[in-house]
Amino acid sequence: MTGTLSTPVPDTVALDPNRHVPGARDPGFAQTLRAEWVKFWSVRSTPWSIGALVALGAGLTVLVCAVSAADLAEGTTGEAAGSFITWGMTVAQITAIVLGALVVTSEYGTGMIRATLTATPHRGRVLAAKALVLTGTLFVAGTVTAVLGYLGGNWFLEREGIGLALGDDGILRSLLGSGLYMAGIGLFAAAVGLLVRHTAAALSIVLALLLVVGNMVMLLPGAWGEWATKLMPGNAGSVVATPVSFNPDLLDPWTGFAVFCAEVAAVLLAGYLVLRRRDA
Amino acid sequence: MIEARGLTKKYGDRTAVDGISFTVHPGRVTGFLGPNGAGKSTTMRMLLGLDRPTAGSITVHGRSYADFPAPLRQVGALLEARALHPGRSARDHLRWMAASNGLPVRRVDEVLDLVGLTDVAGQRVGRFSLGMGQRLGIAVALLGDPPVVVLDEPVNGLDPEGIRWVRTLTRQLAAEGRTVFLSSHLMSEMALTADHLVVIGRGRVLADCSMPDFIAEHAASFVRVRSPQRAEVAELLRRDGLEVTAVDDELRVQGRDAAGIGELVGRQGHLLHELTLVSSSLEDAFMTLTAASVEYTARDRTPAGATR
Repeated sequence: MTGTLSTPVPDTVALDPNRHVPGARDPGFAQTLRAEWVKFWSVRSTPWSIGALVALGAGLTVLVCAVSAADLAEGTTGEAAGSFITWGMTVAQITAIVLGALVVTSEYGTGMIRATLTATPHRGRVLAAKALVLTGTLFVAGTVTAVLGYLGGNWFLEREGIGLALGDDGILRSLLGSGLYMAGIGLFAAAVGLLVRHTAAALSIVLALLLVVGNMVMLLPGAWGEWATKLMPGNAGSVVATPVSFNPDLLDPWTGFAVFCAEVAAVLLAGYLVLRRRDA
Repeated sequence: MIEARGLTKKYGDRTAVDGISFTVHPGRVTGFLGPNGAGKSTTMRMLLGLDRPTAGSITVHGRSYADFPAPLRQVGALLEARALHPGRSARDHLRWMAASNGLPVRRVDEVLDLVGLTDVAGQRVGRFSLGMGQRLGIAVALLGDPPVVVLDEPVNGLDPEGIRWVRTLTRQLAAEGRTVFLSSHLMSEMALTADHLVVIGRGRVLADCSMPDFIAEHAASFVRVRSPQRAEVAELLRRDGLEVTAVDDELRVQGRDAAGIGELVGRQGHLLHELTLVSSSLEDAFMTLTAASVEYTARDRTPAGATR
């Protein structure tokens, strides 16, 4: 040091040991989780997305059941009532995707990620807390939505004498499965968000993959098309959320969901590696 | 104490920070000065573990930032670019940060009060003015009552009263024994706040010294002499061992004060039209120093401020 100061400069300074905020605790995963929970619920997009999920998921199920109950009862459609009782979730998944993507990409869009990572430099812990808050919320919201849709839709089905009991094959499974699928697809979008760090890009990729590519692959010829269709994340994962699938060629509910989980896990792992290695 | 050792950051083939080493000591305000794009913010980001150094290290109390279990209680940072979600209220922003480091909610109200944002704590920060945003950033930095405070361009967007407030606050934090590391591209602000300076340009350390040393070395002054007998006067002064530079119709003389020069010239009976002490400002000194780093030219003998 070349410095000559008018006041002597100490190399070490004893700060008042009681200076630290009283009541502070050493943070662990619970604190990170708490922080992510506060963050999640303190922006408007969260209640809006959840509200839209419930409204679309339950509302469209009730609507589609009300409209098609008579035809279903006559048997002219060739479809089972079980294909309609959670139908709204296929649209509601879009809100889960939006919420999942935003949880990650809004941090990059606003620069929040820098605050997040200075508060908790352990990036794996941040990701785990985020994933838990997102999937927990989506699971509860998805299940509640499916139950509401079932209650409302079934009222119309029962009037036509084709009501579905909770104990019927696949009903309970599809209600819980709706929650599971919403959680999974939201996490999938969040993982893609970690890779591209941009809201519009993440949404475009996930929606295109689910709604466009997922249906286009059916046009591929032979066994290629058959397996590509079965394995696309939206196709594999959503069977668990409906008592009777419109497409009988898809994987079995739990087999499909296991494949879907593996796909989500793979993208999430890639997202985690990017989060860990790339500059924030 | 903050220590950078051979710290380097490359983005592709562009070198943002080029092997810099410096130490920031507790108990005083250390200014981190450089023109925009000099590598200040990149250095700050590496300090906070946001960017990974290409080579070298930067540590706080001998540890990497990422190794602190509760970093907000060790290092408080105001980041240059706003690191906020515009839709979240100031209070909620502080609330999640407090939660993440196990700090009690009470502390949120304390720092809001400290920076004077209590009345607008419930408002979404997207509506905040630049100055309010800076105040919130400072509240974030002080949340964990940290021994090390890092402020990146803290006076940006503040009104004069706010600037004075930051100045007083940083001086006070240093007086309490904390390590205060303050970046700015404004030399004039540094002159009023910092005890010690680390000047960087193009990713290299150009100066690392106390403020008085910096002034003595870089903010040179000269005496401007105007005379109808310019050549004779110049000759006379040179013969007396003074350094004389002729610029336009004036002479710039270094090595003696105005009185001494006046007496010398007067004794020979030469006429004087002007005899003025010209002190270059620190701003000029800084400009000269960093301009040299940009152009990679040899050190000019013309005193700083000579272009005025």
